[in-house]
Parts: sequence; C-alpha cells; structure tokens
Amino acid sequence: MSEVIDARGLVRRYPADGPPVRAVDGVDLVVEAGETVSVMGPSGCGKSTLLHLLGGLERPDAGELRLGGRRVDGLSETQWAIFRRRSVGFVFQAFHLVDELTAVENVELPALLLGVSRRDARRRAMGLLERLAVAERAGHLPDRLSGGEQQRVAVARALINEPLVVLADEPTGNLDSRATGDILKLFAELRQARQTLLIVTHDARVASTADRLLTMRDGTIVAQTRLGSGASVAGILASLADLGGDG
Amino acid sequence: MRSLRLAVRLALRNLRRRPAQGALLLLTLTIATGVLGVATSVYGSADAPWDRVWRATNGFHVSLGVYHPPDEPGNRAFVAELRRRSEHLATAPGVIGVGGPWTHLYGSIEVGGGSEDLTAEVRDPGPYEVDQPLVTSGRWLGEGGGVVLESGLAATLQAGPGDTVVIQGRPLPVRGVASTVSRGRFPLSRPAQVWVTPETARQLRDLGMTEEGFELQLRLADPEDAAEFVAAHSLEATDPSSAVIAYMETWQQRRADSHSDIDILAGTLFAAGALIAILTVATAAVLITGRMATQLRQVGTLKAVGVTPRQIVLVLLVEHLAIAAGAIAIGLGIGRLLAPRIAATSVTVLGTPEPPPLTWARVAMVAAVACAVVLLGTIRPALRGIRQSTLRSLAAGPRPPRRPGRLARLAANLGVPLPGVLGIRSAWRRPGRLLTNAAGLLLGVAMIVVALALRDSLGLLSLKPSEPGHAASDAAVGILYDQVRAVILATAGLLLVLATINAIIVATFAARDAAGNHAVLRAVGATPRQTVTALVVSQLGACAIAVVVGIPLGLGLWSLMEGGDLPQVSVSTRALVLLAAAVPVVFAAIVSVPARLLARRPVAPLLTYE
Repeated sequence: MSEVIDARGLVRRYPADGPPVRAVDGVDLVVEAGETVSVMGPSGCGKSTLLHLLGGLERPDAGELRLGGRRVDGLSETQWAIFRRRSVGFVFQAFHLVDELTAVENVELPALLLGVSRRDARRRAMGLLERLAVAERAGHLPDRLSGGEQQRVAVARALINEPLVVLADEPTGNLDSRATGDILKLFAELRQARQTLLIVTHDARVASTADRLLTMRDGTIVAQTRLGSGASVAGILASLADLGGDG
Repeated sequence: MRSLRLAVRLALRNLRRRPAQGALLLLTLTIATGVLGVATSVYGSADAPWDRVWRATNGFHVSLGVYHPPDEPGNRAFVAELRRRSEHLATAPGVIGVGGPWTHLYGSIEVGGGSEDLTAEVRDPGPYEVDQPLVTSGRWLGEGGGVVLESGLAATLQAGPGDTVVIQGRPLPVRGVASTVSRGRFPLSRPAQVWVTPETARQLRDLGMTEEGFELQLRLADPEDAAEFVAAHSLEATDPSSAVIAYMETWQQRRADSHSDIDILAGTLFAAGALIAILTVATAAVLITGRMATQLRQVGTLKAVGVTPRQIVLVLLVEHLAIAAGAIAIGLGIGRLLAPRIAATSVTVLGTPEPPPLTWARVAMVAAVACAVVLLGTIRPALRGIRQSTLRSLAAGPRPPRRPGRLARLAANLGVPLPGVLGIRSAWRRPGRLLTNAAGLLLGVAMIVVALALRDSLGLLSLKPSEPGHAASDAAVGILYDQVRAVILATAGLLLVLATINAIIVATFAARDAAGNHAVLRAVGATPRQTVTALVVSQLGACAIAVVVGIPLGLGLWSLMEGGDLPQVSVSTRALVLLAAAVPVVFAAIVSVPARLLARRPVAPLLTYE
C-alpha cells in the first residue's frame, strides 16, 4: 500500500496572552491509501486543527507534510487551492454548502474548478447524488434541504474529483440520529470502496467505521488503535475511557 | 432622563472604540455639510461690500429709470412728459433727498480690441444729495473735462487716471475711477458706464452719441418704505405703442440683482449640496447598518441586562447625532474658510467679498440636512430593530436566496468563466446596497458628462467672435461659465469620492457577507484570485447601472443647460466610451481591495467563524 498522508512533526501554534498555545504539537501521521482513520479526543485537543493542516486550510509552523507523495507544506495559497481540487475532499460539520448554488451546482463545483466540461461535471454530479439518494433534490438550494440531505450533498461534493483523501470534520455533529445513520452507512460504503478517509469525530459510532482510531490530547496523538471489522462502539468508548478522553 | 444618560455614555464609548467607522461617517456627512456651508457663505457675500458703497455714496432708496431707443425721435415728447412726472415724484411725501434726473447718452467704447455699448451719465460736478459716486482713484468730474470710469469698466480696461479711453472713436482722458450702486459692475452689467460733465457730453453728442433716457435717484425718510413707495407711485408708460421703458426699483431689488455671478455660483453649490446630501443619506444608511452589525455583541449584552430595542436605537441616534454635530461644525468652518476665496473670483462684487453673518437660520439649514441624513440613515435599521424581538437580525448575513438565479444560469450557459458566474449569483443578494452604490456612481457619471459637455461648449464659446458691442461681457460670461464648470467638476469629484466611500463600504460588507462562501470555495479548490474575481463581479452590477443610466442622465441634464450664451455641442462618443470603460475599471480596482484582504485570510478560521 502507498502512503496518501505522511506527516512528520507537524506543529501549529496560536498566539495567546502567555506563551503560544501548541494546538498541534509534533504530530507524526501516516495514512495508507484506502485506509479509513478516525481521530477522537476531547474538545480543544487539536483534532480539527490537524485536519485543517492536512487539507491546507491552515499552515503548519513546523514539520513536513506529504500528500500522495508530494511535499505540500510549503505550497502557496493558490498552489494549495489547485492541489485541493484534485486531491482533497472536505466534509464539514456545518456542511458548508455555497448557499447561492443548488445542490447539484455545489457538487459539480470542484469539477468545474478542475476544468471538467459543464456537461461532464453535471453528469458526474448527478451520478453521485443518485448514489447518495438525493438526486430528487438536485435543483434545490441548500436552504431548502434537511441537514442529512445537505451533508450527503457535501459528501458528493467531496467525492466528485475522486480525491486522494476525504477529510471529514465532525460530519455527523449537526445531524439527528437518522441522518447520522445514513452518513455512517455512506462512510462504510466508502471504506469498502477503498476511499482513503480521515474522520475527526466525537461520535464513537462514527469512529467505529474506521480501520484505525487515533486518540489525541493536548495537540499530540497519544494512542493508535487498529480496529477490526467488528469494532464495537462500547469497545471504543472503553478504550477512550482508559485514556481519559471524553470520547 | 436615565435612558438618555445611559445612551450618551454608551454612545461615547462606541465612538471611542470604533473611531475609524465614526471617522468615515463624519467624512461622509462633512462632504455634504461642507458644500452647503460653502454655499451658505458664498450666497450674500457681496451684500456687505455693496452696503458699504451704498452708505458711502448716500445710495438711493428708490430709482426711476426711463429709457428709449436712441434712434426713435418720435418718443421724445413722451420722454419729456415722463421727466415732468418724475419731477413731481421728487416732491412726493417721504422723499428726503433727490439725485438727478441725470441724462443718459448712448454710444460705444473700445474694450480689448472690440467695442462695447456705453452709457455716459451726464452730471454737473456736484456734490449730490443722492448717489455721490465713491472715487477710488483720481478725481471726480470738474474743470478740464475727461471722463470718470465705473470701477468695473476701469478694471476691464486696466485703465486709471491719466490714461485715455476711446469713446466714439475719439481718445478721451480718464479723470478718475468711481464705484456706485446705481449701476452694476461691468462687464456682467451692461452697458458700460462713464460719468461726464455737460460740457464733455456736448462733445460726445457731436461725436454721434444720442440721448437714451434719464435716471432719477431718491432717498426716503425710511429706507424700508421703498417697496411701498414704488407701489404707490408707479410710473408706467402710458403709451402702449411706445418703445419707452420706465421702471422703478428699490435699493433692495438692485442689491439682489447686483451680483448675478455669485448667485449663480451659490445656486450651483446649493444644487450640488442637495445632490450630495441625497447620496449621503444612502451612504450613511449603509454605514450605520454596518456599524450596528459590528455592535452585535454589545447589543446582545445590553438586551441581556434589560435594555430595550428603543433604548439601543436611542444610543445609535445619540452617537450619530454627535457625529452629525461634528460634521455641521466642520462644514460651516469650511464654508467660512473657502467662501471668500470662491466669491473673490466674482466680477460683480464692489470690493472684497465678506461671508454674511452666521445666522441661526443658516446654521439651522446645514444642521437640518446633516440631522436629516442621520435620521433617514438610522430610521430603517432602527425600525427593523424595534419591529423584531432582537437586534441580532440587523447583523445577520443576507437572507439565503429563495431560488437559483436565472441570470447566473444564463451566464453559465453562455460560457462565462466560473468566478464570473459565482459573482453574478451573489450580485442581487443585497439589492439595497447595490442600488446605493449605483446611485452614487450614476450621479457622479452624470456630472462628469455635464462637465465634459461644458468644457467643449466653453471651448467653442472662447473661439466664437463676439457680437458687436459685447466684446468684454462675452468674455465675462465665459469666466462665469468656467466657474460654474469648476463647481460642477468639483461636485462630480465629491460625488465620486462619496461613491468611492460607498463602494468601499459596500464591498467591505459584501466581503464580510461572502467570507463564509468564499472560504468554502477555497476549501473545494477555488484560488484566491478566483474568489476576488467573484466578489468584484458581484459588485459590478452597480457599475453597469451607473453607466447605462448615468450617461443618458448627464446628456439629459446638459440638454437642459444648453441655450442662452452656451454654444450647443454634443459630447464626443469617444469621451463617452472612455468614460464607460474607465468607470468599471476604477470601480473594480476599488472593490477588489477588501476582496483581496479577505482572500489573504486563512480559510480555516473563516469556516470556524461561520
């Protein structure tokens, strides 16, 4: 298996009244192609910051980052944007759909940015929406979609350019239990399809869909657990409790 | 009372905490109050010097003028009848002093290589009970002949005692230069005037000057009775077939008519001030709404401790009225400072212009405009605040669109690049702000079109040969139009400054509104340049409206101004095309500044903020 994510000594500090806060403090992380990795930990432990660093939404203060074998920690904003089109898909807790664009337009946006023709981009977008069971809502603006529908559209958008990795930040944080179930099913399908996936979550059920569970505290990865296909929520919660996390 | 004290305290704290926003509102208001301050100070600035000359010359309270065409001898009997009646007028009750009647001769004088119509007023050496001209250099009429020049004529000729002037083709020595209020200053007041003795008048008659009427000046026991006196003693021409003109005038009327160029300048400034004030309302509204938005946290805190929306609105009003008070003071100060310099360009003022006293009425006029701007600008956000249970709505982002934009879809189908399509999507989310921007820009564009037309027309005017007898006065009219053009250009400039402020404010708010969406766009692969382009395109609708409406509006305004002394011209298509091209380019450069600042910010915090 090849390495999709290879991070070495990633550091991200934020200024504070006293000494700077090290939100990510020397994280080493390797994610193989086709692997699904969950990251859990208490609030403020640096999970989301790590995800943002991996996707180029924030810059590390120190460390090296390779995505798909390419060194990316020194890319400019523009270079990162172009790289993200092709290689990174994001799914956010707050969905972050562009509210002026319909569902299908949101999905096809990364493809259009990549230079795919309008017709092909629309075809791909509709295909994904059908696969995610929201095709009938394709022409609606985000404001008219339920939370679950919006998140499925966001997942479709993340997948449209068949990225190297999908980075999901609390993807079920704003969803009810039924919509959460739909997303869990979706992630399970992605895992089976060998889509590389890194999920930051507080939800043990979501974490249980991964191949590997990372636990973070105070900006560092304090534990790694390889999960079997039968990993249970109770088991994950128990292991987190052993580490003192809030799961 | 406690509410007011609280409002004052909070308002002062807000002003201290957000000085830049306050300064921007102050600048916007000051542009309006400054122009109006200048207008109020220019208007009437010729009155004090006029009054000084009027008092120094024992000026008239009522003037009777009788004129007839010099080439109609058949009227002479009727003119003689009017002269007899005027002598009766001199003995009317209330009259305490009489000057004249003084005979007027008609002829011509050489001025600047051309000739001007001339009135020679025939007087004995005096002194006179009424209208003793104020000699500013040389001597008054007396032994030895020669002419005394009216001061405006002397200034135009650059002639003084010892020089000669050419009247009826004959050089005559200048004896002196004098000012009077019985005649407006040459060249805007025509014909030119000289004073001559009866002896010189005989020589002038021999040279072909002919009688054209006479003038009688009266002083009354009470100058304020002048209008009543005129109404009671109207000397109308009783022969309707006659070409004789007889008219009576009060000193107040003559004073009001004595400085037409200043009145035109002041009128143009008032119009400009009104136009700017209207636009300022729109700018202030956007600023105030934005200012309220930035005070969201404070509003929430205040509400939490029991402050009502009405009290919050009171805080806003106190804050903005305090800024308005500053703008009023600065505007009036600017007026006092600039008015004498502007009025000094006048060719009609008798001496040095002086801004009129700063009466309560003048202050109230400027204050009313500033307060109206603030109230109108605050009223909409205030009403929204009162109507809704929380002021949070004031700070909320734009309402999500209800349906997908058709124009953007059309643009996409036509192959418009993606950033452009995204910009079009955003364009109509804040129609009020877009129209505010458009209004500012289109007024500025219209003013530029008028100024361009005026420039071309004045160019033609300067090339046009003067009509016989109007050489100097045509030049003076040209100067006046130059001044008007300068005011129009300055107005266009101020409107464009306001439009720029507007554009920056609106673009900044648009950038703030779009921050979330643009962060998302960048997260899915849009480059900073693409998001900047999208934001700029979203604001260009204002430009399109400004160009499409502003240019025809300017041409329409110009067609209203044409006529009179101005040669008709069409603004060149090239100039209009250049203007139409330049406005969007400059506007795009301005609105791209906040967009670029936004694009520099890292994506993650923007997403987290959202």
